[in-house]
Amino acid sequence: MAPPLPLDRLQRWMQAVIVHPGDAASAPRAALARGEAPGARVADLVRPSARLTAAERVGIYHDMYLLRMEEALATDYPALRHLLGERGFLDLVRGYVRAYPSRHFSLNRLGDHLPEYVARDARLKRRAFCHDLARLERALALVFDAPQTPPLGADAVAAVPGERWEGARLVPVAAFALLAFRYPVGAYADSVRDDEGHEHPPLRRADTWAVVYRRDYSVWRQDLSRAGYHVLRELASGRTVGEAVASALRIRARDRPTERGLFRLFRGWMAAGLFQGIEL
Amino acid sequence: MAAERASRERPSLVPRDRSAGNRWGLPDLGIGVGLRTVHFPHILGRRPRVDWFEVLSENFLDTEGRPLRVLDQVAERYPVALHGVSLSIGSTDPLDRDYLRKLKALAARTRARWVSDHLCWTGVLGRNVHDLLPMPYTEEALRHTTARVRAVSDFLERPLVLENPSSYVEFTATTMPEWEFLSRLAEDADCGLLLDVNNVYVSAFNHGFDAEAYVDALPADRVVQFHLAGHTHEGTHIVDTHSDRAAPAVWRLYARACRRTGNVSTLYEWDEDIPDFETVHREAKKAAAYRTSVPGAAASR
Repeated sequence: MAPPLPLDRLQRWMQAVIVHPGDAASAPRAALARGEAPGARVADLVRPSARLTAAERVGIYHDMYLLRMEEALATDYPALRHLLGERGFLDLVRGYVRAYPSRHFSLNRLGDHLPEYVARDARLKRRAFCHDLARLERALALVFDAPQTPPLGADAVAAVPGERWEGARLVPVAAFALLAFRYPVGAYADSVRDDEGHEHPPLRRADTWAVVYRRDYSVWRQDLSRAGYHVLRELASGRTVGEAVASALRIRARDRPTERGLFRLFRGWMAAGLFQGIEL
Repeated sequence: MAAERASRERPSLVPRDRSAGNRWGLPDLGIGVGLRTVHFPHILGRRPRVDWFEVLSENFLDTEGRPLRVLDQVAERYPVALHGVSLSIGSTDPLDRDYLRKLKALAARTRARWVSDHLCWTGVLGRNVHDLLPMPYTEEALRHTTARVRAVSDFLERPLVLENPSSYVEFTATTMPEWEFLSRLAEDADCGLLLDVNNVYVSAFNHGFDAEAYVDALPADRVVQFHLAGHTHEGTHIVDTHSDRAAPAVWRLYARACRRTGNVSTLYEWDEDIPDFETVHREAKKAAAYRTSVPGAAASR
């Protein structure tokens, strides 16, 4: 029997077993081959029980690892999981956690890089759609955990003199994300969330826009027109209300908002609590 | 209420059977339930009569959204203790100072009665596999873990409380039983113990040791809290799933432990296939039958 490993090497060996991408049976041997315990057999490191071999015992941890990662990511990406199916999603998770293993104390952060991984995963069918869907679901998760900032009250809005609005800057609440998509992923996510027996919208190419925000500790998604997205993007980047409106009036004619339309947009956003401050 | 910093004075190694309370005077909070998201509406809406809640620390450390808002409301109405899964006290990686800073802040925010985690490691080389991995019970591991427990207790300015893990692997390097490792660690590092009697039962089956001997061997005056939970028997081994009612044998083990420690804060965990709140609470309250049968048991609140 080989001499006992020091604690640090024993832990590195066991972690290598747990995260080995192959099956549980091959994991202990593959981890040994990584060099933490050269010449040792699994039974040199782990005792068998009355009912399980040493390799079977350590395999329990290996099998639970991927399931735990899958469960955590499925919580944040339910629509993507639905689109890919159980097997497809598990394959995605297997590759993802190899590329982006958790380095954070919370599993809530495991999915931080999933959208960029999806964008690069050449094995995925409908990759561009999956990427947009992952971006939407990531935004929902980030907004869920973002800092709480009180939205502007009606009094604060009413207190701004009419002539000052053109030069005013509106500051979005902290729990705010503005998104442009090439596919109708919002409608798809809605269809997944709805009851069983739902029909999914076509996955065809179609530009869509949305703002995701939190109000009263609930996360909301509001679909936007091209003009609405354009104005909100300008405001969120620090442009004045006057600059944002002027910019919106320069977009292509069929998407250009009317004055009344712009007024309705602003009124709706104020009511939704999208802004936390006015800088005059 | 912040727990008083424990003295470094070396305590007696003789367990105090039927002792009323632990050496730090941490209160017996009664019978509590783990705070779980699915029960948020019930707890806030119905304000059930629960003695206390245990909070999974990591679920609240990196969010300023609804979970933290709910926790603030719960902590206003109920005593709370923090229970973590990512301290990784046995790891050979450096301690995560960012994690500790956030944990300390959360403990202050919730007026946590104590802060607990597990005797385990969760990853090395900067990774977190998010599992409670077993330690080899060696002199080297004991020295290593003792130093880290002391460092964490100093940082948190309160005695860390450590839970015995459930495990499926036993290392050939191990030179002492888990209860001896845990007892020596508690004494050397001056930390509290969270005795999970279901974990004792699970590990006893998986490794073939005597569960009663384990419970009898721990220093009773260091036990700050009990855990109870259900498990899943796979035939070849038992998995600590927290998915069911506690087995009768686990209750018997709990009764045995209560006879040694006196009444100690008891918490029921249910984490998979979670039923409605009242069902979980009913299961937890079964503990009362064992607690009240303890002669001279403390009931300070």
